[in-house]
Parts: sequence; C-alpha cells; structure tokens
Amino acid sequence: MTSDLFAPPGAPWQRVSPALTKVRRILAIPPLVLIAVITGALAAGRVGSEWLTVLFTVVAIAALAIAAWTWSWAARNTASWGYAEDEDDLLVTGGVMFRRLVAVPYGRMQVVDRQAGPIDRAFGIASVTLHTASTETAATIPGLPADEATRLRNRLTELGESAGAGL
Amino acid sequence: MPDSEPIGSRTHPLTGLVQGVLWAGAAMLALLGTLFTGGNGEDGLPIWLDVLMRVGGGLVVGITFGFLTWWFTRYLIDGTELRITSGILQKSSRRIPYERIQSVDIAEPFLARVIGLAELRIEMAGGRSARSSLRFLPLDDARRLRRILLGRAHGRTADELEADSVEPELELIARVSPERVMLGTVLSLDFLAAALGSVGVLAAALWFDQVLAFLGGIIPLVTWLGQIVGKRVLTQWDFTLSRSNDGLRIERGLLSRSSQSIPFARVQGVAVEEPYVWRRLGWQRLEVDVAGFGSQGDSDSADINSTLLPIADPVLAATVIDELVPGARMAPEERVQVPRRAWPFAPIGWRYRWVAADDVAFVARSGWLQRTTDVVPHARTQSVELKQGPWQRRLGVATVEVHTPKGPVDADGPHLDEADAHRVAFAQLALARKARLPRAG
Repeated sequence: MTSDLFAPPGAPWQRVSPALTKVRRILAIPPLVLIAVITGALAAGRVGSEWLTVLFTVVAIAALAIAAWTWSWAARNTASWGYAEDEDDLLVTGGVMFRRLVAVPYGRMQVVDRQAGPIDRAFGIASVTLHTASTETAATIPGLPADEATRLRNRLTELGESAGAGL
Repeated sequence: MPDSEPIGSRTHPLTGLVQGVLWAGAAMLALLGTLFTGGNGEDGLPIWLDVLMRVGGGLVVGITFGFLTWWFTRYLIDGTELRITSGILQKSSRRIPYERIQSVDIAEPFLARVIGLAELRIEMAGGRSARSSLRFLPLDDARRLRRILLGRAHGRTADELEADSVEPELELIARVSPERVMLGTVLSLDFLAAALGSVGVLAAALWFDQVLAFLGGIIPLVTWLGQIVGKRVLTQWDFTLSRSNDGLRIERGLLSRSSQSIPFARVQGVAVEEPYVWRRLGWQRLEVDVAGFGSQGDSDSADINSTLLPIADPVLAATVIDELVPGARMAPEERVQVPRRAWPFAPIGWRYRWVAADDVAFVARSGWLQRTTDVVPHARTQSVELKQGPWQRRLGVATVEVHTPKGPVDADGPHLDEADAHRVAFAQLALARKARLPRAG
C-alpha cells in the first residue's frame, strides 16, 4: 500500500525540473566543503589543545559525510516532487523520508506566490507557493521550469478567484 | 488636505494618560525585573531612588508618547465608511467600509474602566483580516458607536439607526458563575502541577535551608501560577454568553471587561477540552476557532480569548455547539481508530484517538489525560494533508491533517492505518467540496 499511498488519484504527477537537483547541490555542498577544509586544516595544523584537534577532525569528517549524503539526497528529493491540477483541487506531493501529499481546493486559495532566488534564476527554475487562510497549509512546489511556474501561478490565481469561497 | 474635507473627532483626552500608563507599566515591569536579577543599581544610589528613577522615567516617556499618539488620532464616520487616521511621524489612514465590518468588540482594560473609558475593536472580513482599534471612548459612546457600526454593516440606513436608540435584543444562553470558574481552575491540571511544583520547591528550600538558591526555581513557578489564575479566573469572571441575530456575544472579566462578538459566519471550528478531573465531574471547556482571532500578533493578543465557554456541563455544551455547528454529532458511531501497531507513537494515548466525519463536520478525538475533541465543519476545511515519516512507513501508518486557520482547533488523525488515512483524506476533500457549493433554494 505504501507505494499507492501517494499515488495520484487521476492523471499522473507532473514532475519538476531536474535543474532543482543542481541548484540544491550548489547551495548545500560548497559551504559544507568549505567547513570541512577549514576544520581539516585546523586539525592538521594541530591548532589548540589535543581535544580541539579531535573536535576539528570530527567536524571535518562529518561535513564531508553530510556533503556526500546531500549529493545523492538532492537527486532523490527532486524526483519525489509532483503536482496535479485536479478538477477542484491542486495536489502537491513531495519528500523522500518524510512524504507528504497536500490537497488545496482552488476555492480556498488566497495568495499564490512565485519566487526565484538568484541561483534559481540562473538555472531557469522558480517555486510556487500557495496560501490559504490556514497557516498549516505549506503547499510549495519548488523547482518548476520558469515558464511553467508563471503559467501555474496565473492559472491558480484565476481558479482561486472564480471558485472563491471566502472563509 | 483641502479645507472642505472633514477632519473627524478625537477620542477622549485622557486616552493619552491611560495609554501611556499601560505602556509604561509594561516597560516598568521589565526594568524592575532586571533590577532583581541583574544589576544591583548604580554605585552610590540607594535602591529605592534607583527604582523611583526607573519607574518615574518610564512613566514620563510612556505618557508623553501616549499623549502624542492621542493628539494625532482622529476618527470619522461618513456615508460609507469609518475612517481612522493616526500616526505621529508616519501618518496612516485606515478606511473601514461598513460592509466589510465583521464584528465590533468592546474592551475595557482595567485602568480605562476605572475612568469609564472603553476601547472599540473592529474586525474586518476578507482574507487577510485586520483588526482596528479605537482608544479610548467613554463607555456609552463606545456602545453607541458599536450599535451604529454593526447596524450599518448589516445594511440599515443612518436614519433607521438614529430612530432606534435601544441596544438590540440579546438572548441569554448561559452565565458561568465565578465560583464555578475558580473551582474549575483549581481542579485543572496545569494549576495543580504549578501548585504542587511550588510547594515542592518551597519544601526543598526549607529542608535544605537554602532559600536563595531555590528562589530561582520558585519565582517562575509562582509567576506561572499567577498567570493561570489571571488568565482563567480574572478574565473569565462573570462569563456571560448570549445570542444575537448574527452571532454569539461573550461578556467577561473582573478587572478588565471585554464584550466580544463571534459572528456565526466566521466560526472555523470548535474544540472541546475535558481535563482528567473535570471529566469525572462532567465538565467541559469549549474553545472556538474564529477566522482572524489567532492571527493577530500585536500586544493585545492576550485579550483575544478564544474561549467559548470556560466551564460547562454536557447539556449546555451540546446546545452551544449545536448553535455554531448545527447538526454535528460529537461522537459518531462510525469511527476510524488508530491501530494497535501505532502504539510506539503514543503508548497510552493511542487507544483514545479516532477521527470521524458525518454530514456536517469532521471530528477528531485524542488524549487521555486531557481529552480533546475537535470539530471542523466541512464547509470550513481549508486544505487536507496526508503525511508519512520513515517510522510511520515501517509500521504502515500515516497521518491525516484537516487544516483550519490558526486557533485552538487541531483536527488531525495521527498514525491511522495507511489505507484508512488515504480514504479519510480524500473523503474529506469530497465532503468539503460538496459543502462549499451554494445551497440550492
């Protein structure tokens, strides 16, 4: 049942752009590698007490391990995102370890945001976030191709207005 | 501004004084707090002089600021809207069209009440609802203004309102006596915990003869105790619940009085809480999730109370719930229980959790020490979420969440069997969709 639990009810999931993997890697790995290099150099140079050297070594190794894990996580995470525009709701799914499926009725959408940071724009992706009256609705679709993000944002805003059910 | 534009009236002159003292009071508490915990005062200055300086300084600053704020605040009622202009340096002009007024509440903070002043709080409809407040007006003026605003909001003309100078009829539903509230507070779990904690720490301090060392533990506990008493007893004193045409009206408070209205159309859900001891006596507390109440982050949020009935017996509670969510059954027979294998997530509580949906609302029950029942009308469902973490996946369970605006209602079905969770989530979507359709006829 597990694999069916997050299966789309109607049409198959639309996937996000693979560029999201690259963006995630770029954002996460260089800082971690930098930390590893700095702490590694401090450890090799035996700066400070014995205990401090051990600490630096541990941090360096941990940073490298996290960087390696992030490399593979980014690909799996990107593949897990999906969305589907149903008749009355928008369904968004995502997550590798912590999987989620959110269904937001068009009539309940209040604000639809399209956001893209500098690195997102360099790779031609953007994210779309939906807001309802509830702060628990965390429906964000990251890594959409820029045009698709604009199309989705406009379409959802239109649907939200026409189906608007107020509060 | 052209000369022909009307400027509007000011609020009561003493507003500045009251507002300033309120602000200064908060600042003073903080200053006094640092006195006890941190610095021991300037060198050479006796303690009392230092305290006096801090208190005096705070008061002067507060009152000056309060006066300035009052000077620059004006309000105006014209044909279509209420306009409030304010701001010392940064001018702001807020326009409140009558149709967008959802509710008008009257709050009387203690200091204002002593002088006979009250604050008018206006809530607007719409997605990002905003609360405007007008401080301070004489109580009669505030009541008259409320009547006018609500009347205009419901489409009555200015002439009709002039002629009809009587307060609209309110039908009394319940009055909770202060003794009941006090008894209920004493018997509630957090009070008992705080009281026992205080006694325990005090006993330990005396036993070990180290009063100062334990002072650090006693003060937070006693403060917590004070807060509970303040919040429950003082705020809910003489709690009166009445019904008007468009909603419920709640009046409560011992020192500070508050008159709050809950429009039927804005109710997003009801939560029923039954602490362990209360259950034995058959008492319940009702809290209501009203659109706009939970999202206010300003300093007055302490006064915004989502308590619908601080303490009630089952019959009264059922009556009130029926007013707000007509037709909801609090304990439907067809329930979706949490399966036994989910016990690691809640070793004792798993047995008592279930969710159910009838024609009208989604009901979620949880808790064994404090039993909570959350009711969300289908029409008020925002979004629905299905979640599964790695350990849940291993056990074949998942969590369903029915989202509502921020408030006391938390309608979740945690750790349900996977197939059930999937079914419940999509069923809820369908029910919500059906409930949103305009009713035929």
